[in-house]
Amino acid sequence: MAFSWKSARDIMRKDSNVSTEYQRLEEFVSLIFLRIYNALEEEWADEADSNGKLYTPAIPSEYQWNSWAIKRANGTSLTGDALVDHVNKLYNYCATMSVVGLEPRQKIVRKVFQGLTQHMRDGFQLRQLVDLVNELNYHDAKQRHLFGQMYEEMLRIMQSSNETGEYYTPRAITKFIVGQLDPRLGEKFGDFACGTGGFLTAAIDHLNKQGVESKKQVEQLQNAIVGCELKPIPYLLCATNMLVHGIDNPALSQGTAFSKNINDYDDKDKVDVIGMNPPYGGMTTSSELTNFPENVRTSETAVLFLAYICKRLKINGRAGVIIPDGFLFGSDNASIEVKKILLKEMNLHTIIRLPASVFAPYTSITTNILFFENKRATDAPDGFNTKDVWIYRMDIPEGYKHFSKTKPILLEHMQVVKDWWENRVEIVDKNEDPTKITYKAKRYSAVELAENGYNLDLCKYPKEEEVILTPDDLLRDYYERRKALDLKIDNTLSEIVKLLDIEL
Amino acid sequence: MNADKIRDSILLYAVKGALVHQDANDIPASVLIKEIEKEKAAMVSDGRIKKPIKSVPFTEKDELFDVPKGWVWCRLGDLLAIVSDGTHHTPKYVDAGVPFLSVQNISSGYLDTTNAKYISEEEHRVLIERIKPQLGDILLCRIGTLGKAIEVTWDFDFSIFVSLGVLRPIDNRLTPYILRVINSPWGKQWIDRVKVGGGTHTNKINLSDIPTCPIPLPPLEEQKRILAKVTELFSVVDEYDKAAEELKSLNEALPDKLRKSVLQNAIYGHLIPQDSSDEPGIELIKRIHKEKVELVKAGKLKKKDLDVDPVSIDEYPFEKPAGWEFARLSEISLDSADGPFGSNLKKEHYTNEKQVRIIQLSNIGEFGWRDSNVKYTTFEHLKTVSRSEAFAGDIIIAKMMPAGRAIICPNNDPKYVLSSDAVRFAFSSVLDKKFLYYAINSPMFKEQVYGEVQGITRVRTSLSKLRTYILPIPPLSEQQRIVAKIEEVFANIDKLPKSEEL
Repeated sequence: MAFSWKSARDIMRKDSNVSTEYQRLEEFVSLIFLRIYNALEEEWADEADSNGKLYTPAIPSEYQWNSWAIKRANGTSLTGDALVDHVNKLYNYCATMSVVGLEPRQKIVRKVFQGLTQHMRDGFQLRQLVDLVNELNYHDAKQRHLFGQMYEEMLRIMQSSNETGEYYTPRAITKFIVGQLDPRLGEKFGDFACGTGGFLTAAIDHLNKQGVESKKQVEQLQNAIVGCELKPIPYLLCATNMLVHGIDNPALSQGTAFSKNINDYDDKDKVDVIGMNPPYGGMTTSSELTNFPENVRTSETAVLFLAYICKRLKINGRAGVIIPDGFLFGSDNASIEVKKILLKEMNLHTIIRLPASVFAPYTSITTNILFFENKRATDAPDGFNTKDVWIYRMDIPEGYKHFSKTKPILLEHMQVVKDWWENRVEIVDKNEDPTKITYKAKRYSAVELAENGYNLDLCKYPKEEEVILTPDDLLRDYYERRKALDLKIDNTLSEIVKLLDIEL
Repeated sequence: MNADKIRDSILLYAVKGALVHQDANDIPASVLIKEIEKEKAAMVSDGRIKKPIKSVPFTEKDELFDVPKGWVWCRLGDLLAIVSDGTHHTPKYVDAGVPFLSVQNISSGYLDTTNAKYISEEEHRVLIERIKPQLGDILLCRIGTLGKAIEVTWDFDFSIFVSLGVLRPIDNRLTPYILRVINSPWGKQWIDRVKVGGGTHTNKINLSDIPTCPIPLPPLEEQKRILAKVTELFSVVDEYDKAAEELKSLNEALPDKLRKSVLQNAIYGHLIPQDSSDEPGIELIKRIHKEKVELVKAGKLKKKDLDVDPVSIDEYPFEKPAGWEFARLSEISLDSADGPFGSNLKKEHYTNEKQVRIIQLSNIGEFGWRDSNVKYTTFEHLKTVSRSEAFAGDIIIAKMMPAGRAIICPNNDPKYVLSSDAVRFAFSSVLDKKFLYYAINSPMFKEQVYGEVQGITRVRTSLSKLRTYILPIPPLSEQQRIVAKIEEVFANIDKLPKSEEL
């Protein structure tokens, strides 16, 4: 059977204990991780040996892939209940191993396994699955490259099944953002809601293109990425993704990004470049919120992340962040406060508006990419670090009604944005009504934006795209807009009350 | 609460003297009135006023409210040099010349010349002998739409029609305040009392009544403060208005968006969980095929009706849930048919008797059968277009306007026949009719009907195209559970309040 996600799924479907696609993904990728990690540990042992040193593996010999998983010629391979039993013990070992005396690159095993569950009970199907993973010849560099591509494909399919939903940003977008940020070898690139690692792998690819040959360059690449992911399964996927891309000791932490007061980050915690797509919606706990100043506390996670990112950027550091529309027009205290920070303490130089269906196959909310840097713009006015904000609206390319599963957004679609980026001009929309002047691209001064209540919802899409949102996205969007409008109504009415000098 | 109510409330508050503070240093209005009387006398002497307006004393009937210190009540006529109206004769209109204004150019609250009429220079010269409107005058709508008043702030010459009144203040400094009073609830209430007509006659305000309007007059300095405050408030009210209108649109759009979203969610298999013990969709499709084989044996279907064009993985419209299958309409329907050619079912074939109901586009409504546009043809005539007969329980699909909309054929008439704009599909009982109805009306199916083309509104479809489109087939009991859930959610969406009138 060929090594493929489809084959893996077909095998696992026969075991009723693995009931959802999500669980199948967890099971398959955990085994892949174990296999790759085993291969890595063998490489490290060989390397140590050639330097006259001894390498103590993190995974003891009875649990190493080569000892129990490789198919034996004489037909004595572990299978049935004995296999299930052994694998359960292996999972347990990995999840609870002592980190005393472990090298940094070994600690990732426990970080990965402490959130995972072994689902299969049918030892015969498990044997088949293990055999399938064995089909992957990890030592063959060409296969390793193919595996990388196939892995990306798996992640994409997973996203469309709506179970890993928020973790996958289309490659075209991550490549575009990383391209514009242009991380260089020697710099640190961070994604603090890294999901399955899309931005991190895009950064690695970008750095690889700069030529990684000398020992110094190799070391710089190995240390280039910093990641954080809250949920165990995406963390597993990201860790495996990093290993597949040749980062042996990825600086990934599993857990909340909001683990300490955001004002307590010092230089060694800060990074040069940040590219990310933070989750939106309210998932922050009240104890996490205490790590934020009162005036930015909100239930909208994406807004918290913006404040967070500003504190994790080094001086002159730069960021590209995907943020939903709600923030741009949001007039609640936290949104306003964060927008003030972006205009006054950062240089928010560009906002690219993305068409709604970019995150299709099925649905999504309208999003935008905010590009900003931790430095003062030349000729920025007093009290601001931003001088002007360029807003550019990316339209659906010709021939597309909207993006979809079968017609996703491609890197070539971003070329028009890249061309404009290098040669920025204001672009007026062609309107049927000559008295209506709307813009596709325009420069706004930070001062005028501040005077207009920090409303960044400009260069809007002329007609609402006929995109069907999922009920949860639809209602979330409705409530956000209604909240913003209610707030606007409350503000205008209280101003009227003030002007009338009356009491209610 | 809409913005106009707020504006009215502010204006009434203003003319009652509650909006701004009184200042004891202001020159009282009584002094202002005396000055105006003196000026009026002067204008009578030198002929600028030909017919002085007589002042009418106040009585209980005028229902005046108490005004603050420094204010006085006066009649509108006390403040005016001239009250007149435009010409009573309809002039000869020309394409270009001197603007000729009437109510339609004033009633929006500002000068609106988009549909202005014009008269010749000569005619204009004749009209201005009687009355020549000028800068600083007030124009008042007095026939038809009543009460809106604006100030003449433009300097080109113009004439007016009888439907507009011209009010020339003796002291121009009072004009802005007088306008606010006329356009306030106080002014509107007075107009309501003095107006005549109504019923079959047009409403109007008699010229002789206009000067009687009671005006609560503040000191001149206080007038300025009031006007400044009103302007400041109104600009905030405009912002409120914008937000309130946006909110209204948002709420109006929600139910329909929610329905589409829930429907799509249901068709994608995400509304309710799958049950692995259900008989999978692929088995249903096999059973349908067996039914069709029997129908071929019975001579009801042709052998080529058994041809299947399977759906390949690339064509899957979305990720297939467990137990579901994708199939084309041609495969899962037992039978399908087109309407007759237009010429085979025309007026001459209609009858008044309740025989064969003709299914037209207008009967294919957004939420099911729409029983309007009742048309019948005879049983006899049906025999000539028998291929287009439709049966209760069929799914009827519109070819256009909008293409792809589906309903379930009801059972209220003796027989049914398709018009040329509709097609029918018959299905086995192995599929839930309502599920098919929802599935065909879902955005996912519509996308197939409308294809990848952008911006086309007048899309047409056909029986042969519809037969190729793909539907998801869940297990039968899941189909029924999906329908129940959709209808439960829709019933609640219907309960959402219609438009917010606070």
